[in-house]
Amino acid sequence: MRRTTVQIALLAVTVLGVGACAESTESSASGPSGSATGPIKIGAILDITGAGASLGVPERQALELLDEQVQAAGGIKGRPVQLLIEDDQSTEDGAAKAMSKLVDQEKVDIVLGASRTGPSLAMKAVAESSSIPMISMAANQAIVQGSKWVFKSAQNDRVVIERMIDYMDEKGYSSIGLARDASGFGEGVQEMFDEVGADKGIKVKATERFAPDATDFTAQMVNLRDAKADVNVIWGIPPAAGLAQKAYRQLRDETPVMQSHGIGNQVFLDSAGADANGLVAPLGRLVVAGQLPADDPQRQVITTFVDEYTKKFGAGPSTFSGHAYDAWKLAVDALTAAGTDKAAVRDHLEQVKGYVGISGVFTMTPTDHSGLSADALKLVTVANGTWKLLDDPANG
Amino acid sequence: MTDFLQLLFAGLSQGGVYALLAIGFVAIFTVSGVINLAQGEFAALGGLVAISARSSGMPLPLAAVVAVATVALAAVAMERLAISPVRRMTTLVSLILTLGISTALKALMLLVFGPDAEGLEAVTEGGATVAGVSIRYQDLWILGVAALVSAAVYWFYDRTLTGKALRACAEQPVAARLVGISLGRASLLSFLIAGVVGAIGGVLASPVYFTSWESGLTLGLKGFVAATLGGLVSVRGAVLGGLVLGVLETFTAGYISTGLRDAVAFLLLIVVLVVRPAGIFGRTAEARV
Repeated sequence: MRRTTVQIALLAVTVLGVGACAESTESSASGPSGSATGPIKIGAILDITGAGASLGVPERQALELLDEQVQAAGGIKGRPVQLLIEDDQSTEDGAAKAMSKLVDQEKVDIVLGASRTGPSLAMKAVAESSSIPMISMAANQAIVQGSKWVFKSAQNDRVVIERMIDYMDEKGYSSIGLARDASGFGEGVQEMFDEVGADKGIKVKATERFAPDATDFTAQMVNLRDAKADVNVIWGIPPAAGLAQKAYRQLRDETPVMQSHGIGNQVFLDSAGADANGLVAPLGRLVVAGQLPADDPQRQVITTFVDEYTKKFGAGPSTFSGHAYDAWKLAVDALTAAGTDKAAVRDHLEQVKGYVGISGVFTMTPTDHSGLSADALKLVTVANGTWKLLDDPANG
Repeated sequence: MTDFLQLLFAGLSQGGVYALLAIGFVAIFTVSGVINLAQGEFAALGGLVAISARSSGMPLPLAAVVAVATVALAAVAMERLAISPVRRMTTLVSLILTLGISTALKALMLLVFGPDAEGLEAVTEGGATVAGVSIRYQDLWILGVAALVSAAVYWFYDRTLTGKALRACAEQPVAARLVGISLGRASLLSFLIAGVVGAIGGVLASPVYFTSWESGLTLGLKGFVAATLGGLVSVRGAVLGGLVLGVLETFTAGYISTGLRDAVAFLLLIVVLVVRPAGIFGRTAEARV
């Protein structure tokens, strides 16, 4: 028994390890390579399985809905449109591989995605080196920092943090306990809180990390509670962000909790349950569409999208499907105006001005490839399992 | 001290789930020398079936029973279709075979249940605070049921004739056959046990730790490490191994770094295999259950 136990254990771990790496890839139909007259090819790389599934799946649904609409309208300027969706399995190497496939083999005209920061950064390198326009749906502003070919449709983490710091300042909080996603989404968040909060005297007092696919948060939340900050910030995506929220509240600590804009979907509400009540988070207008004032510039766009999406899928869209909507619309708009010349598409994207989307009103510049300001976010709270526009002067 | 107890309790709860998985590994390995890498998938499948049964309107206890029965059926089918037809089963063959089954099961779960992670509703929602330590009622359910199931499995092997027959297969396969014990039936029974305890673990863990099509991988690995800590052949060892692993993980996350949490299991595995190959609790190295 003595030797065999050792051998068996080593074998089992090796085999399981190999198995973990050799997961299957979801690939879409392939077609003839792109040209000036053939179909226009739009590639999308999303976190359909893995830690980012609660983002990637609604994004895929939004793209399918929009693709249908463009097909029904006869394509872009009479040219048929082909949408190619790849699953990066929420991993960086999955995203890089999918990117190479779309760019080298499928010869797509533009790439949308990925859903999360890490995979988006992996794609950025390919987009920049092979000069192909790309619109990410993730948060971290590093994605568009110094980029020539990369744009993004989700609000920058920086504008989210500005919004949060303003709220903290108004409430008189001066110290933050931060529990952040250990992947790209949470990278640099603590530094940014310190930087943005510096002139208001707000500082991060303690930082804890959690893996995006973590399931137990007791250890991090105990440390967070012990830090005794004025306010705790959980910076992650569902279901992890919801489980963390739940774990914190279950420690019976009454310190206010704020969350990031990464939580705008039903999975968050389901995973956090009643423990979500009372949290404050800056989110896109989509989740509170029905509560917006009638003169809100985005109201019309959002309610149309919500209606169409709900009709097709039987459930309302999340803020992530909104990021996909904006990425698609920006791409189609550029392709309509500039054709499939990649440099012309890029130049067009850089000059987008006042485009009213789901996540905000976009105005791109050569130095700002995100195009959204803090105005794209509303402070939202949760009451009885639904999103509520926060009744607060900071909401303007 | 409060933190220590809080972390200890969280670790025990997590460890209870590992223990149930580990019992499944031990049950099958002792009878046929098969390492069943699909053990984690049993737990994931149990959780997912319970969630969809519950959301189709079934009461929670019934949903749990349906889940355990489904997984038990799947485990038995797996043994009949893929394990027993193999003429010369070695541990290496079993690893490759069950890895294939595990991958197939994962793909099937992804197709049927979709990619999202979901949680079952807790048996008892909420929790209480005792001496500053917050306790989720679901954790008590996990620990209570895990204790009950381990005791039942232990009693089965130690006190019942069928259980003793299984042990006989483990210790002396030839002699067992000579006295009329069917190795085929014994193997089938061991898969049934593994399926049932795996599913119970999956259903109990789901409200706290959530279930997705791929959550079986981590659970299976941790369960396997726990079983190895106990020497791979002892139910008692597997249970203790699970609890030790759960507690060590939470302490590492709480006191050292959360990033190291998942490394604990493997560091522990290496140390145990080098220093005490018979498991941390094993005195001798012969087959026991």
